[in-house]
Order: sequence, then C-alpha cells, then structure tokens
Amino acid sequence: MKPEILAPAGDIERLKVALLYGADAVYIGGNLFGLRANAVNFTIEEMKEAVIFAHKLHKKVYVTVNIVLHNKELKFLKDYLMKLDEIGIDAIIVSDPAVISIATLNTNLEIHLSTQQSTLNTEALEFYKNLGVTRIVLARECSKEDIKLMKQSGLEIEMFIHGAMCASYSGRCVLSNYLTNRDANRGGCSQICRWDFDLYNKDKELLKGDKNFTFCSKDLSLLKHINEICDMKVDSLKIEGRMRSIYYIATVVSIYRKVVDDYCNNPLDFEYNKMYENILSQVANRDSYVQFYDGNYSKDCNYYNNRIEISNQDFLGVVKEYDKKTKLVKLEQRNYFKKGDIVEFFGPNNFGFEYQINDIYDEDMQIIDVVRHPKQIVYLKVDILLEEYDFMRIKVDKL
Amino acid sequence: MKTLVIPSNLKIINNLNCDGVIIGIDKLSVNMPCFKLEELKKIKNKEIFVSLNKNIHNKDLELLKETLIKLNDYNIKAVIFYDIAIPNLAKKLSLNYDLVWNQEHMTNNYYTINFWYNHGCKYTWVSNDITLREMKEIKDNTKSKLMVTLFGYIPMFTSLRPLVKNYLNTFNIIDNSKINYIEKEGKMYPLINNELGTSCYTDFILNGLKEKLLLDYDYIVLNSFLIEDDKFIKVLDIFNQVNFDNVDILENEINDMFKNTKKGFFYEETVYKVK
Repeated sequence: MKPEILAPAGDIERLKVALLYGADAVYIGGNLFGLRANAVNFTIEEMKEAVIFAHKLHKKVYVTVNIVLHNKELKFLKDYLMKLDEIGIDAIIVSDPAVISIATLNTNLEIHLSTQQSTLNTEALEFYKNLGVTRIVLARECSKEDIKLMKQSGLEIEMFIHGAMCASYSGRCVLSNYLTNRDANRGGCSQICRWDFDLYNKDKELLKGDKNFTFCSKDLSLLKHINEICDMKVDSLKIEGRMRSIYYIATVVSIYRKVVDDYCNNPLDFEYNKMYENILSQVANRDSYVQFYDGNYSKDCNYYNNRIEISNQDFLGVVKEYDKKTKLVKLEQRNYFKKGDIVEFFGPNNFGFEYQINDIYDEDMQIIDVVRHPKQIVYLKVDILLEEYDFMRIKVDKL
Repeated sequence: MKTLVIPSNLKIINNLNCDGVIIGIDKLSVNMPCFKLEELKKIKNKEIFVSLNKNIHNKDLELLKETLIKLNDYNIKAVIFYDIAIPNLAKKLSLNYDLVWNQEHMTNNYYTINFWYNHGCKYTWVSNDITLREMKEIKDNTKSKLMVTLFGYIPMFTSLRPLVKNYLNTFNIIDNSKINYIEKEGKMYPLINNELGTSCYTDFILNGLKEKLLLDYDYIVLNSFLIEDDKFIKVLDIFNQVNFDNVDILENEINDMFKNTKKGFFYEETVYKVK
C-alpha cells in the first residue's frame, strides 16, 4: 500500500496543480481559523469547488482549523465546522481540543491532530485517539524510532517529509507576538526565527562568528529515506508550504510522487536517483537536511548562510493551452527567457523533455526575441503534446 | 488570591513570604529552576506545584511515569503539565494531587479550559499572550481554578535544538555561559541553552501589580528568573501589600527598581491578518 502524498494549497490554482501533479490529498486554509492568515486562502464557495475538483479525481481535501482560539472566536466555530461538513470536506486538521469536542458533537468530520500539538509520545497519542481523532500529524522532532513506535497505535500517522521547519517545538514560540505584535499561533507568524541577532555571553560581551546568530534551521528533506518511510507504513507524507508557488508545488509533488511510485511498484529494484535531488534543490529556498529523523540535531541542522531567498528563478512559464493542429503552445511568462535558450517542459504526464526555444510569437502573432514581462502571454511551437499546467523551466542538470 | 513564586534556588524558598512555589524536576522541566525529587522535602509550609512541562518524547515516558508515582509521597498540591502524556497517564495511575493545564501559549480561551476541567484538570495557568479583558472573560466562564503570571521575564520560545551550542561549534567560539543574550535593535533577550534545548525570554519584565487588583484569579505567579534575590523579596513584599490606595506608588517603585518593565499584552491585542 502506498502512503498518501499530502500537498499544501494556498488557493484554488495551487490546489489543482498539486492534485494534477500527483498529490493524493491537499490541505487548505479557510478564511478563518487557519495558521496561514496571510495566504490567499479559500472562501466556502472556493472550498466547494476544491472538493468537487478533488473528488472527481478520487482525491481528498483537508482544511486546517488549527489556530489557538481566543474567547471571541469561539462563537463562530460551530457554524464554520458545520459548513465544512456540509460541503464534503474530507477532514479537518485541528490543534485545540475545544475544536475537537465541538466538531465531534456537531459534525461527522474526520479529525486530524495538527503538528501544533507537538505529539511526540504514545501516551499523548492514546489520549487523542480516545477523543475521536483518526490521524496524528507527528511533531517534527520525532525520530525514526519514534515514528515506528507511534505507528503501532492503530491511528493513522502523518509526517512532514519536505519543507521549512519551525526552530521551536510547534506551538511553543511567540517570538512573533512579542517582537512584532503578530500572533504566531493564530496565523500571523512573522518568522522572527529567520532574523539574525548578535549573540552575547553572560557578561554581555559579544560572541562574534563569521555570520550572525540566528534561530534559523535548514529545510527538511527526507527524499533519501522515502523507501524506509514507506516500509514503516506511514500513512501520509506531508509537504510544507501553503504560501509557495505553483511551480514549487508542481516540482516537489511530482518528485515525491515519482519516488514513492518507483519504490512501491518495484521495491527490489529501487535505487536512489540523484537527479531528483538536483531538481528539488532548484526550487529550494535554503539548504535542506533530514533534521530530527536520524536523531541528530547538532550544528548541521542550523542555517547561517544569510542567503537571500530567491527561489523560482528557474520557472520560466506555465502552459495555458496547446493546439494539437498548429502545435502552438500558449504560455504565460514567469521569468525572463529568449530565443535560443535551452529549456525543459515538464508536467503531470511528462517528467521533462529538453527544448530549444525557436520562434516566439506575441499575442498578435508577431515574432519577438525576448520575453521579459511578468505574465506576458506568448506562443511557441512545440512538437510534443503539452497540457494546461505543464511548466517550462531552465534545463535541469541531470547528473 | 494566593501568591506563588518560581524561586531562583532552594535555599531562599522557606524565607519567602508567599503561599506556594512552582518548581521543576531535573530532566522533566523547562523554563524554570530544576531540583531533585527528594529536595522537595526541604520545602516547609508552602503549597508545592511541580511543573513537569517539557515536551515528552517516548524515551522520557518511563522517567515521567516513575516521577508521577513518586510524587504521591511528597504532599504536593498539583503537577503542572505541557505534554498531553501527563493527563493520559493520570487516568491510569492513582495520583493524589491535581493537574494544572499549562500549554504555555495555548491556554487562551475558556472553552478549552473547560474541556480540560471536564477531563480532570482542575487548574489552568493562563497564558500571558491575551488581554486583561480576555483573562476576565475566562474567569467569568469557567469553574477551573486559575493562575496567571504577573511578574517576571516571560518565556517566548522553547526548542529542542541546542542553538547556542550549535552556533559556538559552527564558528569555533569558546563560551561556557549558563545564560546568553541575543540583541536586536538595542533590545537584549535572555537565552538559556541546556541539555533539554534552548529557551528565549522577553527583553522586559512583566509588571502586573495593578492587574493583581483587577483580576479575581485564584493564584498569581511571580517569576524570579534573572532577578536578584534582594530585589525579588522586595517585589514580593510589594505584591503582598498592594491595594487600590497605594497601587500607583508601588507600581512606580517596581518600575524604578528595574527600568525595563512593561505591561505585555494586558492592554494590547495581537494581530494576525496583515494584508
């Protein structure tokens, strides 16, 4: 049995991309009660559309209801949960037990416990199982041994496999509240953990390294351990990043889809493919590491590079239409490219083919040499069949 | 209203003019001074609240269970918990003390407090991340006994990662400080890195003297972390003698003593939607 690949979706376009590129389920936030208050998020109408789209593909939609509630939010909660139930949401992801009790009393929604509760042990897991929770999103601090133990509980186990990390135990950081007045546990986190600071000793003397002190950790990537994780029968593999781009989501989801399928379909012949790692590194914001999975959280986990986060520059355009007769692809530009560039198309149904850009046509079908305007619509002639939501990117180094 | 103190050391406890103390136990507690279990016997005439507030990993469960059972012999008032392993174990063990729900930054609404009350946790240590008005609403809507911190540096961040040690190792810096500070825009934030990870505190001391008079809570908590003993004893005296007639003078006295006091979120709501 293959584990579920669970992808983030900040809006309906990201949701479609995630599902088309191989996610089995997506998690989204509504306009209320989610921990990404500053993402676009979904209205109830958009959630309905999302559910219809996903269910047609036999896939699932989960909604995050994982903020830490304040008194004033309580009165809206019951109606909101009932609406989610009505429109066919497959599960809610919650952290506050108040939400669990309101949901179990008033809806038939399946309940997943958010990583905000930092569930790290079998006793806590048993407590939530008895409350009616069907799945636990494990704390990111769980080691491989922890995951094996938790899996014996009979509950579904979901774990993060890729994306950014909190520097603290989830839920146990309010740096954002105190330094910027933005509430970390209600979706307003301003990521103080990415800031740099000067570090001092007990006598308030500066301890100066080549780089400044920061709480920041490298990102998580468990690509190299997917075979092992599949063997542990983990139920759901979660990718972080509801505010990430469609290109990021398409790239990361398609790689993990490929690796899970490769291993589960033919475990005896499975070999780790370095090319997948190269592709992931092209969309990464920062270096990645296995983090707590191997029980090592020494200096290798921390990130001091002060790197300016400029991912997605490889993302050149998204396919809007393809005309089979003329073989013209209608492309929406996302980064500069020009005639003669060697690029690559990839999509849900093709893992990537090389293409040298020849004639480029603008919307009036006039030939141009350079595409430099964001979201500019252009046409290219491509012999291989393309589909909506295929992407054009800078050619990936396959070595 | 009773006063609880998080003491800086064991020796000072019996000289403190307070109703009780909150203490940690080695290997099971964070963000407070920790002692050995047997040292609890040295505490006389005080209500004892034991805070077992670390995030519990599977490897900690045996020690936790053993400690919860042993605490039956120590005449303590309650165990304060963060990890949900504790209320689950409490259902299986016959414990002769109460539980205090204290998931630090999550104890923010009365519905969840009532949830825990109905699950056998008769006390809640309310978060400092909410306003005074919200704290009062909680009081009006729960039977749970309530406690709240009204003085001291507030923990803002708790991590398993040894962040100071990692930084020192990365850049080959030698430093054996038991406490460090990080600085940003002229503000210094205390940082503790020990075998359980790293904690970061506010740059200011919360001074809720006036708010003591405005809140009808069962317990207030004064935290002595980083406060000199003589000054802390003076603060405790002030909290013990405050009334509506002298509150302004006494509040200024505390402010003058420390220079970096603030009101936290008593009168300032956090925001989360910025677009």
